[in-house]
Amino acid sequence: MSLVQKGRGITLVGLALLGGVYVRALAFTPVERLQGPAQKIYYLHVPAAIWTETAIIMVGLAGAFYLFLGDRRLDLFAQASAEVGTVFATIVLTTGPIWGKPIWGTWWTWDARLTSMLLLFFLYLGYLLMRGAVRDPALAARYGAVLGICGACLVPFIHFSVYFFPTLHPQPIVLKPSTPSLPGSMLTTFLSSFAVFTLLYVGFVTQRYAIGREKELGEAGSHA
Amino acid sequence: MPEVPQNAAYMVAAYVVAAVILLLYTVTLWLRGQKPPRFPPPPPAARPPRS
Repeated sequence: MSLVQKGRGITLVGLALLGGVYVRALAFTPVERLQGPAQKIYYLHVPAAIWTETAIIMVGLAGAFYLFLGDRRLDLFAQASAEVGTVFATIVLTTGPIWGKPIWGTWWTWDARLTSMLLLFFLYLGYLLMRGAVRDPALAARYGAVLGICGACLVPFIHFSVYFFPTLHPQPIVLKPSTPSLPGSMLTTFLSSFAVFTLLYVGFVTQRYAIGREKELGEAGSHA
Repeated sequence: MPEVPQNAAYMVAAYVVAAVILLLYTVTLWLRGQKPPRFPPPPPAARPPRS
């Protein structure tokens, strides 16, 4: 079984389990009394946000190691993680405003958390555009490593921005030093969704990494 | 006791949007992962006959 096929298998299992999370979240998880059904957007928005931030940390780490070791596989992994991070960031930046409209009364506000997440999304886009524009693979990998490290440095600022600045965005109710403030059934739904997003990240990155490697091998073969 | 807000349409919209984004990316990766058909390399150009 090739790496692409393994990635496809993991992705398909992830999508099937995502269907289960949808059923659990929509039909079997209680409705929050103050926010109403819109609160259930949380079960998609937050796991996607956690993996958006984790993906750029992975890009930064892979980039830093690439600068020292020069291993092409690290750069391929960084590219894959950046692309998947962009997809998850798109989910965050679409589901967030859909939650904000009924709860805050506005689709968007320029507060620290939202603005820094938008900045991360643009950094992801810049990374992908740069990878497409720079023709020299070694140069593109070096630029990508620097961008990835910059993006990873942005993550603590994004996560703690709700503590540093007065923002409309709620403070973390799971990823915080004290115990999570979610009731048991809601926490189970959240953790299930997080596990599924983890599986999707692994499946997507595996596929994207394998596609990148195939492409490089093909180009090396055509130049030989 | 305040009434529970009736905003299920927003919830449905968010779930649909997330599913569409994930499915589109899955299909994109699937298509990109299909190996292109490998054609045999073109034969070397025939040399003109020596006179």
